[in-house]
Amino acid sequence: QTISCLPRSSEYSQKNAVLLPAAALGVGGVLLYWLRSGRKIKTIDMGDGWWGSGERPLKGKEDESIRPFKIETSDKEIEDLHRRLDHFRFTPHVEGAAFHYGFNSSYLRKVVAYWRNQFDWRKQVEVLNKYPHFHTTIEGIDIHFIHVKPSYVPHGRAVQPLLMVHGWPGSFYEFYKIIPLLTEPARHGLNEGDVVFEVICPSIPGYGFSEAPHQKGFDSIATARIFHKLMNRLGFKEYYLQGGDWGSRITTNMTQMLPQCVKGLHLNCVFIGKQGLGRLIAIMLGAYVPWLVGLSREDARRFYPFMQKNVYDVLRESGYLHIQGTKPDTAGCGLNDSPVGLAAYILEKFSTWTDKSFLHKDDGGLESKYSLDELLTNVMIYWVTSSIVSSMRYYKENFSKDPNLNAYSGIYVPTGIAAFPQEIIHTPQVWAKDVYKNIISYSYMPSGGHFAAFEEPKLLAQDIMHFVRKVEQL
Amino acid sequence: ESCSSLAGIILLEVVLVLGTLLIYFLFSKKKEETLPFKNGWWGKGQKPVTQEDTSVRPFKVETTEEELSDLFRRLDQARFTEPLENSCFHYGTNSVHLRKVVSYWKNQFNWKKQVEVLNKYPQFKTKIQGIDIHFVHVKPPRLPEGQAAKPLLMVHGWPGSFYEFYKIIPLLTDPASHGLGDEHIFEVICPSIPGYGFSEAPHKKDFNSVSAASVFYELMLRLGFNEFYAQGGDWGWLICTNLAQIAPNHVKGLHLNMASVSKLGLTHLLSVLLGRYFPGLFGFQDEDVRRMFPFLKKGLYRILSESGYAHIQATKPDTVGCGLNDSPVGLAAYILEKFSSWTDMEFQNLEDGGLERKFSLDDLLTNVMIYWVSGCIVSSMRFYKENLQKGIGTQKHEKLTVQVPTGIASFPNEILHTPQAWAKKKYTNIVSFHFMPRGGHFAAFEEPELLAKDILQFVGKVEKEQLWKKK
Repeated sequence: QTISCLPRSSEYSQKNAVLLPAAALGVGGVLLYWLRSGRKIKTIDMGDGWWGSGERPLKGKEDESIRPFKIETSDKEIEDLHRRLDHFRFTPHVEGAAFHYGFNSSYLRKVVAYWRNQFDWRKQVEVLNKYPHFHTTIEGIDIHFIHVKPSYVPHGRAVQPLLMVHGWPGSFYEFYKIIPLLTEPARHGLNEGDVVFEVICPSIPGYGFSEAPHQKGFDSIATARIFHKLMNRLGFKEYYLQGGDWGSRITTNMTQMLPQCVKGLHLNCVFIGKQGLGRLIAIMLGAYVPWLVGLSREDARRFYPFMQKNVYDVLRESGYLHIQGTKPDTAGCGLNDSPVGLAAYILEKFSTWTDKSFLHKDDGGLESKYSLDELLTNVMIYWVTSSIVSSMRYYKENFSKDPNLNAYSGIYVPTGIAAFPQEIIHTPQVWAKDVYKNIISYSYMPSGGHFAAFEEPKLLAQDIMHFVRKVEQL
Repeated sequence: ESCSSLAGIILLEVVLVLGTLLIYFLFSKKKEETLPFKNGWWGKGQKPVTQEDTSVRPFKVETTEEELSDLFRRLDQARFTEPLENSCFHYGTNSVHLRKVVSYWKNQFNWKKQVEVLNKYPQFKTKIQGIDIHFVHVKPPRLPEGQAAKPLLMVHGWPGSFYEFYKIIPLLTDPASHGLGDEHIFEVICPSIPGYGFSEAPHKKDFNSVSAASVFYELMLRLGFNEFYAQGGDWGWLICTNLAQIAPNHVKGLHLNMASVSKLGLTHLLSVLLGRYFPGLFGFQDEDVRRMFPFLKKGLYRILSESGYAHIQATKPDTVGCGLNDSPVGLAAYILEKFSSWTDMEFQNLEDGGLERKFSLDDLLTNVMIYWVSGCIVSSMRFYKENLQKGIGTQKHEKLTVQVPTGIASFPNEILHTPQAWAKKKYTNIVSFHFMPRGGHFAAFEEPELLAKDILQFVGKVEKEQLWKKK
């Protein structure tokens, strides 16, 4: 699909007398705009896909039913887990390692002891089931999602549909604390209830309770298309999108694919593609004269020193990305067989990506921002669904193609960005504009890291509402 | 008058420039620095005041019923993930094939028998710098009148072990029985790198290749060898290189089946861009060009697609190794993937990864079992961090050259090809450089005869030159 590129100009609402010259101006302007932007007007083609086993069935329509779903567990599942925890083979770390070599094995022992003796999976399953879950088949695979409607809507208020997409190594569960703040804001002291949402959190195919694709090539564009189909199937014509990590890329692709369906795009993590020479020069100058290249003081504080924060730190933290982007089946194999290995791998990210200084702590600072129950519930989602390998394949499928978002059209849909201070890389507003041409809200959040919804639900909810309020008033 | 003064000025300038250049060349000649021996203490806690026990104790690999039943239980309860359709080994180890390997492991592989195989060569342990060092020491079964056995230190790499040398050892200790002539006979010492196999893992940070070289140097001295040869590939390449830099008067010759260069400069960049068209200009031979180009495919992309493991091991070894020490299937998948792609990159296109084309499952699994029973996968990965955490090309030893006579056996399926033109900048005394006809990264394991022959001819050259020098 291609969108009409006519700018939302008011020229067309002029009355008869000035219609002719206005029309001429309008046409001329449009022509000029087309000529200047060239291929940038192109949106992402929706295309189609088939991810089920074997060949796509030629006959018959796909089952479009939406089936309620409840997460279940069994004694067998829990006993198997306990047995593996009991037999875990532990390796002592070098002296003074803290979290510099990865997850500290002394602290891991404590986590495993808690997991084995205090963590109650049955109780956590009930917690997970407190929101309504569903399954529906799209493009040959079962898509899992939760759909939470507000219990009370003030008279005359519109309920905004909001699709929130998680990332890796997260899940739909990351949104559990923020959902009530968005569906029932008044009750949580957030506002007078002028903006109320119904929230849909799907699981990316290959993650959690969404079936994993059986075919190669399942990338963020395929995901974007499937999520559009999902929203369409649920009866929504226009909706808001929110995301971080992969969720940021998926919701961005969704906006590039069908901008007319997206009322607003909110991101807590921004990826921009390849940088050119001009950007490199701006980076060098920005260290000395940030204002000259459009960087604010806070941008400079978060972005520099350049080599340390954007090269060394990134290299130190991106080993997982490298191996998952090349050999996911190898990397994930042992993790699907050893729950402790899985926990160490996943929880290391919840430590370092929440606060880089946690590397120096013997316990990785994990419990300073999260409870072990929450952290382990997320790990259990990967464990009971055996989805770690398919979740890693997503990296390879996405990196095999051109990661340059600039290849597609710029995004003119209203965009809101919440920039958290401990996010892995800081993207200043002036550079986010490369892709996001219509940023109506850019906030420097006071605290928080990569897992924004999980760690700082209130801050994120407030920013989402602030953004949506702006969009609705336009 | 003005003309002559101008000429005078020009002359002066020319003299100054020439003089500067001359001085520059005289002083820029590389100083033949040695690498200092790195003393350390790698044991637990504080170094005790008492003298270290320097005894060399015999060692035998053992197993128990408990060890075996624990392994079988884990193999039985392994959780596999179905591969994507038609993915072969492109996403890593294919789990359909892995299931077959696990089935063999459980039903046919006989660990007790393999332990006897491992014990066929005498093994020992000795404490050096606070940790127990394991090594195999094989002496020749017979020596002709008046001939002495030449000591040869052979160092393995990752994810290999001392076991990789089991097929080549008899070719070196008893060459006559294998049709290789008896001019040079070796006694072979294969240690396990600290943190690998049956060598104790360092308890302190910073145990890098120079530390390992220093430990092995002490080992050779303790065994009474004043002069010896050193051979290695993978980490063994670096450790033996460091050894030659630490003790050039003790290392008679250095033989490598892999020779990397980490100090890359403008010439390297130019040779990559233009070497295909002007090979002679950069000292490339036809075979160099055949192996290195097209550079994007054989160089850059290959590095990117194959180095994920090194990246994560160099940054978060304790994280990535954790699950592998708990899941034997995961460990096997991780290790065997390398025995597939590093033997032949084309094996990725095969459903079985070509694993059994060059190796037997018994051999492959014995190597995996060494990592499993010793629980050393995490410490083996830490070696990457200790060596690479500051980046490639930043350490002191990377800037030093090697003057010891060097022999390089360049195998065609090695991950990256290093032409002699580049190697000789670091290894200033290359006595032999041969393109091997076949074989990949695990040279001793895969092509023991080819490697043995190359070692023999290299040693032959070194010995001849030594004799000539003495005269």
